[in-house]
Amino acid sequence: MRLRLGSALVALALTTTLAACGGANSTSGDVEGGQKGGTLTILTSSTSITLDPANSWNLAVTTLGLLDRRLTNWKVGTSGEAEVVPDLATDTGTPSENGKTWTYTLKDGIEFSDGTPITSKDVKYAIERTYAPALSEGIGYHRSLLAGSDGYQGPFDGKELDSIETPDDKTIVFHLNAPYGDWPWIVSTTSTAPVPAGKAPADTFGQKPVTSGPYAVESYTAGGDLVLVRNEHWDAETDSVRTAGPDKIVIRQGQDPAVEAQKLIADAPADQKTFGADFVPPAQLAQIQGKPDAKKRLVTSGPGALEYLALNTQSPKLKDVKVRQALNYAIDRKAYIVAAGGPVSADAASTLITPGIAGREDYELYDAGESGDVAKAKSLLASAGVKDLALTLIATNDATDVAKAEAIQQAYAKVGVKVTIKPLEQDAWTTTATGDDAGAYDLSLGSWQPDYPSAAGNIQPLFDSSQIGGGGYNISRYTSAAADELIKKALAETDEDAAGKLWAQADRTILGDAPVVPLIYTKNSFLHGSKVADFYIGSFPAYPVYTAVTLKP
Amino acid sequence: MIRFLVLRTAGIIGVLLAVTAATYVIFYVFPADPARMACGKPCTPESLAQAREFLGVDQPLWVQYLEFLKGLVAGRTFGDGGGAIVCAAPCLGYSVQHHQPVTTLIAQTFPVTVSIAAGAAVLWLLTGVAAGTVSALRRGRLPDRAVMTTAMVGVSMPSYLVGLLAILFFGFTLDVVPVGSYVPLTENPVDWAFHLITPWCVLALLNAAIYARLTRSQLLETLGEDFVRTARAKGLRERTVVVRHALRTALVPVVTVFGLDLGALLGGAVITERVFSMYGLGALLIDAVGHTDLPVITGVTILAAAFVVVANLVVDLAYRALDPRV
Repeated sequence: MRLRLGSALVALALTTTLAACGGANSTSGDVEGGQKGGTLTILTSSTSITLDPANSWNLAVTTLGLLDRRLTNWKVGTSGEAEVVPDLATDTGTPSENGKTWTYTLKDGIEFSDGTPITSKDVKYAIERTYAPALSEGIGYHRSLLAGSDGYQGPFDGKELDSIETPDDKTIVFHLNAPYGDWPWIVSTTSTAPVPAGKAPADTFGQKPVTSGPYAVESYTAGGDLVLVRNEHWDAETDSVRTAGPDKIVIRQGQDPAVEAQKLIADAPADQKTFGADFVPPAQLAQIQGKPDAKKRLVTSGPGALEYLALNTQSPKLKDVKVRQALNYAIDRKAYIVAAGGPVSADAASTLITPGIAGREDYELYDAGESGDVAKAKSLLASAGVKDLALTLIATNDATDVAKAEAIQQAYAKVGVKVTIKPLEQDAWTTTATGDDAGAYDLSLGSWQPDYPSAAGNIQPLFDSSQIGGGGYNISRYTSAAADELIKKALAETDEDAAGKLWAQADRTILGDAPVVPLIYTKNSFLHGSKVADFYIGSFPAYPVYTAVTLKP
Repeated sequence: MIRFLVLRTAGIIGVLLAVTAATYVIFYVFPADPARMACGKPCTPESLAQAREFLGVDQPLWVQYLEFLKGLVAGRTFGDGGGAIVCAAPCLGYSVQHHQPVTTLIAQTFPVTVSIAAGAAVLWLLTGVAAGTVSALRRGRLPDRAVMTTAMVGVSMPSYLVGLLAILFFGFTLDVVPVGSYVPLTENPVDWAFHLITPWCVLALLNAAIYARLTRSQLLETLGEDFVRTARAKGLRERTVVVRHALRTALVPVVTVFGLDLGALLGGAVITERVFSMYGLGALLIDAVGHTDLPVITGVTILAAAFVVVANLVVDLAYRALDPRV
């Protein structure tokens, strides 16, 4: 499943997922064991799957997790926080020069689906490919981090990226621009998965890719079926992340989510070895409550992607921190949760870091109660000397988003703030929110889930001053020297615990300036057939772990 | 006849050129940036500029249009050097969403649309004309009333509702037909037809109604004409009078409507494809609209326009065969 960039903030939360609070874990799932073999069917409303890893936005646990291995991967369980673990490499990386250089050694006995051994040159080549204009569409955090990559256009014309060294077939060394403690997470992203060096043309590789994971591509039809069969060259001994239960996996695209859910509720013999990759729609979610058999097969994630209200700190009306704090006190999260689909789909949020991510601390800086603290908000507005505040709120013109915007509008009306909702096409919303014109809006709905389970992925893209405009997602247009400094320090920290503490400190520092109102953590529900086993949603992300699913006989 | 064909073909090319130009202008002045989809995450200004250059959308509109026309006859290349994407002629553009040339996508999805359209069209033409004929011959009596009432219901139902109800009733409650998904004809002809039977029936139910009403009114009119009286006076059998003489004439407008309907349907049975989870041209188009995948939108629009124009031509030719007066 590929997400389009234009929809990043909103669709990320809608189409991908979330996690569970470190301590109080509410994820569920069917974790009794199935066995090897059988054909698993996955139904999805998506209509295109990007099979070239360079262009993919897949999370490590979904479709391309079945096909492509990376240097590192994610260990996600139903409790605790997600961890980075070795995949193709023997460990998660050895830093030197304070985290500016990272060295990896590949395991023995690893092969591509065509039988050729995977070498460090293949990893290097794959990462170099992501600099080619035709292949720059995927998750590309590594692109600006690697030293000397400015203007580099990929390996197709024989040019190499010198900051990736391969002294021998087993060793790969990355030289970065600056110390970067999260590099082990960066090399777990799909776009860094190895492809055979020199044998992966930009235009055709994605049609029939050579893979490194437990499955190989048998066939793919646009909008139709993706059929995966076993990769005989994959050795389970070398892989601690994937269980590779089913012999064959058919991903059936273009499904209507309501029909898909009905199919899974009915659980006819032909559909028992099937699960749905789409969130169960609200109507079917309600229907399932009265059907104990289907309810058993419904899996709901813990709290995940953060939805928030961005307060444009560069808008003259919102320059005063007291006004922004007043808006934090005035929020009616209960009404917002109703608009978002009720408690089954959302938990109230009061912090920035997504649950399930190391370092997260739970706290409440602005106690607004369930439905807002009107008196407190009014007194803050009065002390800021603000009267007749009128604000423009941009949101996408999707019905749910408009309902959410209306919940905010009504809450703020109670404290005398007039909100005008401006619904925009998805693409226009992205252009406005991430564009260079700071005066185009006062408020915006936002949604975010990191691309890898690290607090860096939560905080840096949304609050670093370098991410304002020019396509960046700092849509609060928030600038703070103190926050920038903390982010820089945390990014460079290679000790995980120390980094976690710094991120938690950044979380509090930023919320002290109130550039956003945290609203909810979304929860996603999925259905599976009665012969699907080991179907669970980890603490991060709030999406089923495809690589663990097995089938009952 | 040759002169007629040449003139009409020239006309068709003219119309299609106008359609491509209009589509191009409409969609490319649309406030969406196709390069944004190819830009990656994070999308920095540099990578956006690189994506624009790669897709050629950094050029002025008229240059883009000329490139597009050139691509149609000579093919085109996106990007340069070893990492370029080659789009062979006739190149309708490159879909960033699907990572394939639009022509390839159309080639993959068109068989689905043809399967739905052809089966449904045969079904609705046969049932529609038969019902209309029965209705006309038994005018005012029970069969007529029954057919016309059913037709009225059929005409007034929206296809998404009928489609979903059919899935719910025949697919889930009775469990006699498969729910959704397309099986290629080449893979298994029986499964192909089995999977298509519900969409065929749904489309046929909705469209046959129109044909039944049209056939009825035309046939009634024709049966009252002089040449029918003459035919009867010659002592021809009633069956011959109705089928060979009256129906043949009455069918001329029916064929016109049929040609246009089929032409439009070949451009994608948008709602039916969606409801039945079959990825044909219509689903491809809707999807492209949702993702602002402009090359696919323009490509499918132009193709759909071509079908309508060609259908017009075929209808005109059919006139000559059916109606001796033309």
